[in-house]
Amino acid sequence: MCHDHCVSLFLPNVDTAERLPLRRPSVGRRLGGVCQGLALHLRVPVRTVRMVMLLAALTFGLGLVAYLFLWLTIPAGDPVALANELDVDARLVAQPNAVPPPQDGEVGGTASWWERIPLRDIATGVILVTVTVMLIADRLGAHLQWTWVFAGLIVLVGLFMAWGQLDSSRRGSLLEQAGGRTPVGVIRIAGGIALVIVGALLVLGQDREPSLMWQSLLASVVVLLGVAIVLAPWWLRTLNALGEERAAREIAKQRADIAAHLHDSVLQTLALIQRSVDQPGEVTRLARNQERELRAWLYNDRSSPGTSLASEARAVVANVENTMIDSLGTSQAISIDLVVVGDARPDENSEALLSAMNEALKNAVRHGRPPVSAYLEVRADVIEVFVTDRGDGFDVSMLGAVGPDRFGVRESIIGRVQRRGGSVEFRKMAIGGTEVKLSMPRQGHPVRSSVSPDGAQSLAPDSGPLGRKVL
Amino acid sequence: MTQEPITIAIIDDHDMFRAGVRASLEPWVQVIAEAGDVDSAVAVLHATTPAVVLLDVHMPGGAGGGGAEVLARCQDLAATTRFLALSVSDAAEDVVAVIRAGARGYVTKNISGEQLCDAIRRVDLGDAVFSPRLAGFVLDAFGSQSAPATHDDELDRLSAREQEVMRLIARGYTYREVAAELFISIKTVETHVSAVLRKLQLSSRHELTRWAAARRLL
Repeated sequence: MCHDHCVSLFLPNVDTAERLPLRRPSVGRRLGGVCQGLALHLRVPVRTVRMVMLLAALTFGLGLVAYLFLWLTIPAGDPVALANELDVDARLVAQPNAVPPPQDGEVGGTASWWERIPLRDIATGVILVTVTVMLIADRLGAHLQWTWVFAGLIVLVGLFMAWGQLDSSRRGSLLEQAGGRTPVGVIRIAGGIALVIVGALLVLGQDREPSLMWQSLLASVVVLLGVAIVLAPWWLRTLNALGEERAAREIAKQRADIAAHLHDSVLQTLALIQRSVDQPGEVTRLARNQERELRAWLYNDRSSPGTSLASEARAVVANVENTMIDSLGTSQAISIDLVVVGDARPDENSEALLSAMNEALKNAVRHGRPPVSAYLEVRADVIEVFVTDRGDGFDVSMLGAVGPDRFGVRESIIGRVQRRGGSVEFRKMAIGGTEVKLSMPRQGHPVRSSVSPDGAQSLAPDSGPLGRKVL
Repeated sequence: MTQEPITIAIIDDHDMFRAGVRASLEPWVQVIAEAGDVDSAVAVLHATTPAVVLLDVHMPGGAGGGGAEVLARCQDLAATTRFLALSVSDAAEDVVAVIRAGARGYVTKNISGEQLCDAIRRVDLGDAVFSPRLAGFVLDAFGSQSAPATHDDELDRLSAREQEVMRLIARGYTYREVAAELFISIKTVETHVSAVLRKLQLSSRHELTRWAAARRLL
């Protein structure tokens, strides 16, 4: 794609913006996908490109060399997807006069009988037949330079091993996995180099004596070493630059991530807040929800569901804040402060406890006055929840004679907790306000004191500080 | 109450926030210094020596240490100036860092003006200010369950009474409510809270830092 931009610098008239990047698509390729890629890039019919390539191949094998060169240098990939990714004008794909992407055009077309000819297999067959013909010719007495053929073959194989890495479509993923150095890659490079050296020695050292061979080998190794030493700083610098560029790209990606997140959540919420300025309750709700979400995101305070009692408690508080706004109207701001100490894996007991806490919080918001606070502490054998509000106080003596109208409290809070072996206490605080204390034994920690079946004792008002005014 | 207003400094990198705090506190306290980054904060605090410093946890400048760095570089003012950390961050790491660096308290920025004023007064008198969340952190860090006997150091454990006080503060009680609840004087509550603060600052417990760091990775 850089290529495209560079071209557009020098040839301002050429409309390069609509060009697909030069890639070898895997769909609809005949051999290596070179012609396909060229056709998409140049916006010429594939057939034309292939004909040209074939004609060029027939003229001294020029096309063959060009094809191999392009095969090795053009990376594999889907040009259309890449274009979308690079945000090159996406309309191009939909334009009727543009070259249709291979998925729509070539594959599955009815007129493509010749498309189904297995070119790869034929190429392999041709090579095998050639070799066979050569072998037979040799048997029949034709004098072939076998040493040359073998040496050439070895060099070719070595080149393919080394260069073939470029072709590997898994290159990207492999590089990411191993930072560019996979065992396979190293083996391919080393094997390729070894084969090329052996082949070159075979070609050059055909009629010469071994000592001369060794000398020249030594000389070439020394020269190579010298060149390597000279080039090492440059190479290292390139490596460093590459690493820096990668790090920079990583940072840019992170920044884009953050920007996307802020855009999706925070800016949306801010817009909503501006629209509901006349509803303080709604504004508070939006702000609180956003705050929770952002905190969870920033501090990585997320836990997978079903593993953290603390995060479930936070969810309960969020839920109460959100639902109570609906039932109380949006003019009143609701905010509940939650403090959690310790954490545990949720189980049925804690589930019941949280449902009761949910009801207690709703009660506190509905009947009490802010600030409403909730406190959850996970202790060794028991989980305790305190829900406190600063209302006028809930008449505790009423609970003794619980009428049907108090069914909500009785069933949803008291019943729920007691069925699981926990206890509930309602207290009027000395300073004003009501406090509900829910305690629930943790599973595997049976309650020590037996709970009376009707729960009368735990319902009885705490005879301690209750009612005593301390100034 | 004191006759003269308390002199305070507001160290925060958000101008809007400084203006807001100043507006909500102005009648009761006298804002004599403001700063927006670590270096200018250290300079202005040494020049003016206010009684109480409202200190943001996250700030640019200096070596990147934020509020904790200001505290470290103002150690020489410890006799005259007290610090109250003020932040939007609830992260245990941040809280523990500034408290360990010497702040006398920690409150979050959504505190009301009245409560903040109360907190400033308290810090000025040498007491500690714990928000419910900070109390929760303390309980969490020191282990809300009775500490195992392996830690015999007095600094590494909260007494039963201190735990009780912390628990009530975590439940949203004010100091006055705590006092009423436990039938003790407010002065006693303050003593307990100050003792907890001292333990939080001086405890050599490795768990404290490790715990705070781990909280972030939860």
